[in-house]
Amino acid sequence: MSKLFKLLALFLSIGLVASACGSDSADDVTSTTAAPTTEAAETTTTAVELSQGGSLLDVVIERGSVNCGVGATAVAFSVIQPDGTSAGFDADYCRVIAAAVLGDATAVTFIPLTSSERFTAVQTGQVDLLMRTTTWTQSRDTDLGMDFGPTTYFDGQQLMARISDGFSGSSDIADLEGTIICVNAGTTTEKNITEATLLQGVNITLQTFEGSDEVYDSFISGACDVTTTDGSALVGRMAKHEKIGEWVIFPATPISKEPLGPVYPQNDSVWGDVINWSVYATVIADEYGINSSNVDDFLAEPGEIGRLLGTDEGELQTVMGLPADAFYQVIKQVGNYSDIYNSNLNPVGLFREGSANAPAADGGLIYAPPMR
Amino acid sequence: MTAPVEQPPSTRLAVAQRVPLWRDVVVLKWFTQVSLLAVVLAALWLFVGQAGNNLRAKDITIGFDFIDRPVDIQLSEGIDTLPNSGGRALWVGMVNTLRVASVGIVFSTILGIFVALSRLSNNWMLRKVGAMWVESLRNVPLLVQIIFYSSILATLPRTSFLDPTAAAGPLNQNQGPIHNWLHISNKGVSLPRVFIADGFYQWAIVILLGAIAAHFVRKKRLKQHDDTGRETSPILWAAGTLAIFGFVGLFIHPVFSFVGPIMGGIASLIDSLTIPMTQAVISIVAVLLALRWIRKFRTDRRSGSGHLNLSDDDWFRMIFAGLASALVIVVIYKWTGLSSWLLNSGQDLFRLAETKFNVDGAARPFDAMRPDVLKPGNFANYGKNGLTMTRGFAAVFFGVTFYHSAHIGEIVRGGILSVPKGQVEAASAVGLNRAQSLRRVILPQAFRISLPPLGNQYLSLTKNTSLAIAVGYSDIVQVGQTIYNQTGKALPVMSVWMLFYLACSLTISVVVNFFNMRLKLVER
Repeated sequence: MSKLFKLLALFLSIGLVASACGSDSADDVTSTTAAPTTEAAETTTTAVELSQGGSLLDVVIERGSVNCGVGATAVAFSVIQPDGTSAGFDADYCRVIAAAVLGDATAVTFIPLTSSERFTAVQTGQVDLLMRTTTWTQSRDTDLGMDFGPTTYFDGQQLMARISDGFSGSSDIADLEGTIICVNAGTTTEKNITEATLLQGVNITLQTFEGSDEVYDSFISGACDVTTTDGSALVGRMAKHEKIGEWVIFPATPISKEPLGPVYPQNDSVWGDVINWSVYATVIADEYGINSSNVDDFLAEPGEIGRLLGTDEGELQTVMGLPADAFYQVIKQVGNYSDIYNSNLNPVGLFREGSANAPAADGGLIYAPPMR
Repeated sequence: MTAPVEQPPSTRLAVAQRVPLWRDVVVLKWFTQVSLLAVVLAALWLFVGQAGNNLRAKDITIGFDFIDRPVDIQLSEGIDTLPNSGGRALWVGMVNTLRVASVGIVFSTILGIFVALSRLSNNWMLRKVGAMWVESLRNVPLLVQIIFYSSILATLPRTSFLDPTAAAGPLNQNQGPIHNWLHISNKGVSLPRVFIADGFYQWAIVILLGAIAAHFVRKKRLKQHDDTGRETSPILWAAGTLAIFGFVGLFIHPVFSFVGPIMGGIASLIDSLTIPMTQAVISIVAVLLALRWIRKFRTDRRSGSGHLNLSDDDWFRMIFAGLASALVIVVIYKWTGLSSWLLNSGQDLFRLAETKFNVDGAARPFDAMRPDVLKPGNFANYGKNGLTMTRGFAAVFFGVTFYHSAHIGEIVRGGILSVPKGQVEAASAVGLNRAQSLRRVILPQAFRISLPPLGNQYLSLTKNTSLAIAVGYSDIVQVGQTIYNQTGKALPVMSVWMLFYLACSLTISVVVNFFNMRLKLVER
């Protein structure tokens, strides 16, 4: 009998432990920054509070930093630096959110994720926000337990191959017959190339890898004949490669639409609004030509500029739960859309003019609703 | 199974002697079993419920609907590179895992035995090479090794493939280390392939007859040995008989093409069966089997004087046998589709056999082909003629084979060294030479000791193939990860992984345990 009681007690205690740690399955946070222990504890709080119906905004303010999921080696979008921070277009948008919410653009904990880890990281609350060249698709929006913010970069899938293999800028899908194509696992590009080659009846071998570095290593070594992903990432990689002129990107018209933007947990509209309007603030500032160096000159301006910078008491921002000068801090510390775009993407050869990322007034797609 | 059976004539003494319920061994036994089951079920229910709550709180949906839904992904290799559903994709991944694991088990064992023998050899050079092999390979993490092999293969020439003058068809002269025979490039390794051809099934019948003949030859030689005491080498004779049959069969196998129509007849017979007949037959067989088992069981339990003494456990087993047959009957009548599936697949099987046997008399049992290269577009690929290892497969295969050969080598060496020296001395004392004592004294004892740890190596080899994800080989983990990234169903996919690896591990341990039981010292 005593054996039985021991067993019963054992099972009960296991059950108790399980229910106690059931809600913090996110505490296996891996981060490149220092003090991982405190961070793990904080992520636990996130998960607990979320399940009780609070907003992530309060959690982030209390924690004092934004956990932002980024890529590790996405050239020009998010590249991890030796000090654990990240540099690039997406990384700067993490800083935009931190500046808006916390008034400090450096209050970001960058969490590098592979493309196949990223959605689980959002679902489990490991990251508050995902800025990782993530394409907005219907199934991801509806089925995966997450919401998408405004598109920050309009991209399209292209392919990259060697000129010495007979590829040129005018090559297209039909020229891929018999090639080995390398892609990242768990991406839309994987599905797009499968569909595109199937529709044209072209036989390829699709080799998927977990990390993007493995994809490019295989491509450089010649084990893969072709690699494919978003055009901007290919341009970034080509710029990084020493022997420019060896590779070519094609077709000129991308084979898919890849709107990239922020991703955050589902059904948290307070947090979602903060992210959406922080992104819009950078676009609106760009429309008025307000950038980090001249923002102080606009402080006396009335109208929408006043509402943007919070000089009219910042009523619109305080209603959202942000400080009155939230967007002033964004522009002052990080910059407007053009600042972020030009400083990160111009060096690799991506320019706004004439692309889908030009302002709406110039025929592009970058547009923000009015601040009113 | 119930409490005291004997109820002596109603005396007050007997009633007083009855054990109270809370101290009755039988009652306590049952109580323990049932409450333990309840606790386990309750704990399970608690875990599942808690997990469900947590997932709901995070808006994560679970469910296995991805198994039927299209996934739109393409796999790099396997029996189907364009699977039409998630379940099919996982199935392809499972086959790929089993492929690399089974080949790895065979080759790591062979290599491991060589490593062990070289480490035990008297030759200084061999001994040192063996030691280096073991120490370097087992001290480098497997993941590092797999990535290393993959990187080496990636640096192999690719230009030879892209020779614009190379025509489609057989390899041209400037390709491969051994032209037309062995081809190595960064697209993989391609070897000549020996495969089963059309005449194989007829030849298999000759071999079957040969096996029967060999059995009788062996028995006869054994009897001769027992009668005369001469060395009659029965195994050698049996093997020789089989070899003669196999060789002659290569020429006379078309004789057996008459088996085809017989198979066709069986298929037609199955076709004429109806579903109720099948159900009835299966039910009757299930009941008869259960009854036979119970009868045999009771006979076994009968003591010499014919007294039947059954314990609670015995009652359990008999009830379970009855329940099992009842379950079979319920299942077979509830799902009529099962019977029609049985009928159809049985018919298909025999129809297949019919076509396999009805082949042209000139067909060979085996055939071989040299590797070929096809050039559908601008890019050349290995065709289907050769035995081709892709880069991912080769990296994983070399990784697990080399790594585990080091471990297996040490296990086998340990087994051999653990045979007491006295055994070897005793063997030479009775006049066995070195080879005889190795085969008849040392190896059987060494094998008995090595088998359980060997089984562990096979288990971990199978599980280690999941590192394939690092080099992009489409094993079940890689495919599953792609699927749950596209569908968001992480937990269901992981449960499929766990079930699959569990099934693999259990199968391996059943096989190893079977041999272990066979080899166990018989203690009296």
